[in-house]
Amino acid sequence: MSSKRKKYSTITIIIAILISIPLMTQRSDVLTWFTLTFLYIILAHSWNILGGFTGQQNLGHAAFFGLGAMTVRYVWLSGVPLPLALLLGGLSATLFALIIGFPAFRLKGIYFVIGTLVMAEVLHIIFDILFPRASVLPAKLLGSYSMNSRYYLSLIVMGLMVAVIFWLSRSRCGMAMMSVREDAEAAEASGVDTQKYKLFAFALSTFFCGLAGGVYAYYSVAVLANSLFSPEWTFDALIIVFVGGVGTILGPIIGSVFFVLLKQLLSLYLPGGIHVTVFGVLFILVVLFLPGGLIQLMEIIRRRISLLMTA
Amino acid sequence: MLEVQNVDVFHGDIQALWDVSLRVSEGEMVALIGANGAGKTTLVETISGLLRAKAGAITFNNVRIDKESSHKIVQMGISLVPEEKGIFPGMSVLENLELGAFPAKSRKQKDETFKSVYGLFSILKSRLQQSAGTLSGGERTMLAIGRALMAMPKLLVLDEPSLGLAPLVVKSIFKVIQEIQDSNVSTLLVEQNVRAALRIATRAYIVENGRIAGHGKAEKFLHDEKVIEAYLGAG
Amino acid sequence: MTLTFITQSLVSGINVGALYGLTAVGLALVFGVMKILNVAHGEFIMIGAYTGFWLFTLLDCDPFLGLPLVGIALFFLGMICYKVLFSHVAKFVEEVKLKNSLLVAFGLFLIFPQIAQTLWTGDERAISPVYSGESFAVLGIRIGYVPLGALLVAVVVILGLHLLLNKTYYGKAVRATSENWRAAKLMGINVERTYMVTFSLGVAIAGIAGVLIGLTQALMPAMGMEWTIKALIVVLLAGIGSIGGAFFAGIILGVVEAVSAIWMGPYTVAVGMVILLVILMFRPQGLFGKA
Repeated sequence: MSSKRKKYSTITIIIAILISIPLMTQRSDVLTWFTLTFLYIILAHSWNILGGFTGQQNLGHAAFFGLGAMTVRYVWLSGVPLPLALLLGGLSATLFALIIGFPAFRLKGIYFVIGTLVMAEVLHIIFDILFPRASVLPAKLLGSYSMNSRYYLSLIVMGLMVAVIFWLSRSRCGMAMMSVREDAEAAEASGVDTQKYKLFAFALSTFFCGLAGGVYAYYSVAVLANSLFSPEWTFDALIIVFVGGVGTILGPIIGSVFFVLLKQLLSLYLPGGIHVTVFGVLFILVVLFLPGGLIQLMEIIRRRISLLMTA
Repeated sequence: MLEVQNVDVFHGDIQALWDVSLRVSEGEMVALIGANGAGKTTLVETISGLLRAKAGAITFNNVRIDKESSHKIVQMGISLVPEEKGIFPGMSVLENLELGAFPAKSRKQKDETFKSVYGLFSILKSRLQQSAGTLSGGERTMLAIGRALMAMPKLLVLDEPSLGLAPLVVKSIFKVIQEIQDSNVSTLLVEQNVRAALRIATRAYIVENGRIAGHGKAEKFLHDEKVIEAYLGAG
Repeated sequence: MTLTFITQSLVSGINVGALYGLTAVGLALVFGVMKILNVAHGEFIMIGAYTGFWLFTLLDCDPFLGLPLVGIALFFLGMICYKVLFSHVAKFVEEVKLKNSLLVAFGLFLIFPQIAQTLWTGDERAISPVYSGESFAVLGIRIGYVPLGALLVAVVVILGLHLLLNKTYYGKAVRATSENWRAAKLMGINVERTYMVTFSLGVAIAGIAGVLIGLTQALMPAMGMEWTIKALIVVLLAGIGSIGGAFFAGIILGVVEAVSAIWMGPYTVAVGMVILLVILMFRPQGLFGKA
């Protein structure tokens, strides 16, 4: 079997397994774990589009998560069917992105980083003041709460996300984005409209981030604006992408699995929040010594093993 | 005094110097001539510790310096005036000169050194409080050289002092360089203005594509047909 | 809206502004000299605050008198952080260096609050010596002893820094290094050591600011980020490269916030941020910086 066919069959098997998980077990902790992992994959990869592929470190990711989540929550609770609500959630995030996109991309380097961070914090404060109370699922929906639908929704959106990333990595569009990351001036000089691609990456990134927020809003029994817009969502995305392997397809996926796993495990035995410390240390190690993240680590190990085999 | 022995230098993965050797003895002025990109600047930057040689050795007064950091090399007595002059534009002329005397030994004697530097570059004295960024090209060169002298170097290395300067200014700069040499400071002079360099130097090395292509008495090169053809057209 | 009320607001605005300015100066120093944007600056402020808290509650040391101790302790912490972490970053080319130093500082931002949480729990603390709430009146305006003391300390520290940078050889070396580190090397300046000392100095200043903040506000492990953002706002408001200007920009921000608070209530926090966004859009070089 050629390696391409091998790859496709592996992916098919994985998809088949993922689809059948809820059929095999109804344990809420298992389903929750999977659902959250899928969610973080969407969160991380959506950041990866702008940060990893296009090289623009957007520290305001949480704002779009929050916008998507708020939109979906209120629209869905007021009766709009979920798929439409989700679409609106994603679009609301993208709309905001396009509005601030033009001025935002006039900023270069760290100004962009700081600007996006501050912008997200402004939104955080405003929404916290406007919506100080939590939105709790009404009794009717609470009664009919099904983990399965959350699971499948998360899975579908994640599948969509990964498919888009996959497409990007192979398309001219993706190549253009990567050229902007590598050397924006050179890219511009060879005819790449860097502004257009940055905006496109931004729109795509925020759309999926909004979707992630929407999935979270659907999944959560109660949501509070303050935590929906919390910069933690940005930081979690950054941690996962960098530790996993920035700019890669598999990196954020492995990173998310690792992240959620570690979070659950550590919170069982140690005081809450320790997983952040562990990831902080890993993060620093990656930045200084292993820029390719876990993916690079796996490559190194694989190479060592194959060397041992052929020796 | 300065011995460079079989040195290989790389810029990242790209080799710039192959098996380069040269020597500067006390009281000499040695010229380094060669085309643009031949490796002259790479060589002097390696001597000053801004770059590390991958192979070979450099000794100064019998002490190995090729593994030393640049600030130590300055303390040992080698001062480089880089091609871009490297003056500090936000600071005054006086502060620039004071910085030249940063090493402890030269700091103690800086008042006397000031006097000799003003003697060479009287124009600096009149511009002491001026911000160095407002100086003209020639004045910057003078400041850069004066600043290097503040460190009381035993070996002064000059990288293209005449670059970008008007002919009259070049003339006065070279006059000063000659005076410096007369005061027993050994000099290593990198110059594209080959004629002027050969006229005041004792010996010369020709650098071509990262290798030493020839060396000998400066006088000899002035009359050498091949050298005249290759370089003196631009002189 | 009496004159007294407005003046009182101005006074408290200046007091807070002095703290903003002090924190910004520490950040501006490190960024101006080494082009490292320490987004964990607020975390060092937090650690300084808790250190002052410990000195006060465990050793009964008056917070103002304990300031030099905190400064020294944080200086060493800064040295360690620099040696272990940031020195690896300094060798990169400027663009990459900036990005990576940002990321490393981000890592610290993740770690420090957790450590603080473990050591001091999430409960709010405060440094409250006996004279905490006391004040005296001048022409009908109440001036608190603690805020006044903080203001004086801030002014002294900044003057000290100014003298250090402009009147000493070390200061000249720092300024030279920030303008052209290659040329600085050629002057015989140990650039690596200069970076380390400068970074540590910035952290020490953050620590001192932390104690002053702890005297006027509640301490929480998560307080760092808010102050990092404030410091960032002030640094950018003043303009990158302007260390002295950072202090004045801090006072300006403090006063603007105090005056806005009269109308904007809870939204006041956003004022500084909106100012920052405006600056980024229309005058990125800040008020005092060079274009």
